[in-house]
Amino acid sequence: MLTKLALTGIKSRLKDYIVLFSGLIVSAATFYMFMTLATNKNFLGNNSMLSANNTMFIFGFGAVLLGIITLVYLIYANSFLMNMRQRDYGMFMMLGAKSRKIAQLIFVETFSIGMIATLVGSAIGVGLSQVVAKLLVRQLGLTLHNFNAFHLPAMLITLIFFGVLFVLSAFWNSAKLVKTPVMKLLHQASQPSRMQVKPVVLILQALLGLALLAVGYWSMASIKLLNLIAIPLALVTIVLGSYFTFNATFIWLISLLKRNSKFALKGLRNFTLSQLNFRIHDYTRMLAMISILFALALGAITVGLGFQNEISDLAAATAPYDLIVYHQDQQVKTAVAQLDLKSKAVYHYKVVDGATYYSVTELQQQPLYYVDYGKSTGAEMVMPTIKRYAAQDYLKQGSAARYDAARWLATKSEQSTEINVKFVSAAKFAALTAPTQHLQLIRVHDFLKDSKKIGQIESAQAKAAPQFKSVLANSKYVGYGVYKSLFSGMTFMGFFLGISFLAMLASCLMFKILSGAYSDVRRYEMLNKMGTRRGTLKHSVAIEIGVLYALPGVLGVCHVLFGLQLFKMLMINPYQGIWLPFAIFICLYIVYYLLTTWLYRGIVIPATEIEK
Amino acid sequence: MANDVVTVNNLVKTYGKTNEKQYTALKDVSFAVENGEFVGIMGASGSGKTTLLNILSTLDKPTSGEVRINNRDVTKLKGNQMADFRSKQVGFIFQDFNLLENLTAYENIALPLSLQNIAPRKIKPLVNQIAQRLSIESVLDHYPTELSGGQKQRVAAARALVHQPAILFGDEPTGALDSNSARELLETMDSLNHEDQVSILLVTHDPFSASYCQRILFIKDGKIGQELKRNGRPRAEFYQEILNSLGTFVD
Repeated sequence: MLTKLALTGIKSRLKDYIVLFSGLIVSAATFYMFMTLATNKNFLGNNSMLSANNTMFIFGFGAVLLGIITLVYLIYANSFLMNMRQRDYGMFMMLGAKSRKIAQLIFVETFSIGMIATLVGSAIGVGLSQVVAKLLVRQLGLTLHNFNAFHLPAMLITLIFFGVLFVLSAFWNSAKLVKTPVMKLLHQASQPSRMQVKPVVLILQALLGLALLAVGYWSMASIKLLNLIAIPLALVTIVLGSYFTFNATFIWLISLLKRNSKFALKGLRNFTLSQLNFRIHDYTRMLAMISILFALALGAITVGLGFQNEISDLAAATAPYDLIVYHQDQQVKTAVAQLDLKSKAVYHYKVVDGATYYSVTELQQQPLYYVDYGKSTGAEMVMPTIKRYAAQDYLKQGSAARYDAARWLATKSEQSTEINVKFVSAAKFAALTAPTQHLQLIRVHDFLKDSKKIGQIESAQAKAAPQFKSVLANSKYVGYGVYKSLFSGMTFMGFFLGISFLAMLASCLMFKILSGAYSDVRRYEMLNKMGTRRGTLKHSVAIEIGVLYALPGVLGVCHVLFGLQLFKMLMINPYQGIWLPFAIFICLYIVYYLLTTWLYRGIVIPATEIEK
Repeated sequence: MANDVVTVNNLVKTYGKTNEKQYTALKDVSFAVENGEFVGIMGASGSGKTTLLNILSTLDKPTSGEVRINNRDVTKLKGNQMADFRSKQVGFIFQDFNLLENLTAYENIALPLSLQNIAPRKIKPLVNQIAQRLSIESVLDHYPTELSGGQKQRVAAARALVHQPAILFGDEPTGALDSNSARELLETMDSLNHEDQVSILLVTHDPFSASYCQRILFIKDGKIGQELKRNGRPRAEFYQEILNSLGTFVD
């Protein structure tokens, strides 16, 4: 009988159960997706610039973090479930159900909901990994090695991890419910605590928070000075700093707004502020955590996409020339004509006894371009620039200009470092008895855009004139391919990490907010009775939740902007193209916000008309 | 008729859809409340009291019939009009106070005014005035959890009256109060009615509360049965009459 009652209970609150269920499914799917990466040693080893062990370590760290978030998330989801159910169970107990029986029922309910969600979630995780991998590969032109959507160890870890957590929460729920007096289960209205705002304490907290944040930001920027200490130092100070900043600034701000009667006494503002005020104690820890996670997730995506940008930068830095045409036939000529040319230079040469001869005069007439690496040091990378030699640079034997020319104008790739290219005067060049041949050094406006055509031209040349195969193998296009496959893995991991963290943190926030919704139902009902317009109620909900979402978001963005300093060691310009990951991330975050608002409204806002 | 603040004509309320089992909560109810009158509606649980009050306050729609408040047919209102009507014309006092416990007493009282977009500088004097009238100036900065039941109900009354509604609806306002607080509240309502000409419609099943009214309508099984008038008699005498008629009415 009780089982039947429990099932009808589920039916009557189907929507809430769907929310709970989908939340759990998302978390299980995310966890699984992450684990497919973290446990796949082959994949990590093949796709990272760092060694497999280092990457494993990074991902292991990520997995622990994700595990902690999942734990927190499950606690919130569980409290959402309990808030939803305790009245029903209280009623069963009042009707005389034995508490042992009730405990059993709760245990079964919690555990089965959890396990079904985990199984469905893992299955979806397999599908999602496949889709995400495909999407990323197609959209970003990535190349991945050894990536499998279905990975048995990942599946096992997910099932065991969630299984253990659900057994624990099932025990917790049944123990808690049996111990709580029935009356409390029936009428659990949370009482707001009166806000004791001592200005001095608040100011101290705010200052402490800001100081801690400053130390954290400084340590990330000065990683050169602090070495590895910088990371743990930044982590601790930023976590504490975020907490204090939230706690103090937030409370101070709300009380300030409330005191300003011109602002507060308009419409529902006072109510909205009080709602926030009432929740804030509960939320500061949560918001501080979310802001950190937000930063980690956004940082991962930004760095991931940064590596993607880096591909073209690094390719640009490998060579001043985008294409060298050794062999000209009609096919190559038409293909070259289709490129978006920036410059084209023709150089004539003669081959005598295995050595390639060029006329210095010709070089002086059109000096070559070269890559200037500037003052790049180990700790900070500087973007190299393309410069051009001057005519007199070619006068001296063994000059850098001549060395460079020999490199780009060689028609054969030699094993030895000595490349057999010789520069002679125009008269001497004319006197050489060999047929005059020529090659073209080509620069295009946008290497990435034309890279496909360039690749085709190179393979066409290699096919038509196999003697140039060896020099073609050193081309910029080939170098680009190497970088691309190296960085693709990093980009993919960054994206993956970022998206999984985002999914978890936003779900956490969502459930935290939704689990408080039930205690708000009465308040919104009262407001409705007092004659508050539906639109006004909706607006109030949107603002309240908007603030709860925006605050950690803003702080998280700050963390990332400073945190990118860390990556100056690995990347030329970590801030390049930063708007894209930010835009992607914020869009997803807004989707979560809208979803939460919609669900929350569904719970708290009463229907205008009672159904006839 | 022109002096009536509430007019109810042939009100019917049937629950359940046409193809389901139907239940008629109100069967052809008609009555009127004059401006400045203190009217009580008495009846046992399930007699249709709450349904009637919900319809009067636009929280529910009747199946047929007409409800005019301040010469406006409230059954024809839609969406925001209903909310605006409640916020301007009606004041509510409930059994369980229904104060917003995350707002102070002052903020609770100010809320109906802010909802009507009254300029913030005009709000303070209005709140203070009504607070003084109900002797709750000293507790304005407290949260509802820090107040006694009687204080809470007076704050609720202040909130219901601060925007000077056409009528004050009381839904068992003394139901959760001890007898002293209940007497105090009823006396306050009585004086509001006499001195400030506030029209009051009180729904109750408690004869003692009802004895403060000038006129009592008895509702049973969705119909208005008997009507009692006080006609200026002392309250104790009226109370006795209510008790007597309750005895006969129940049969």
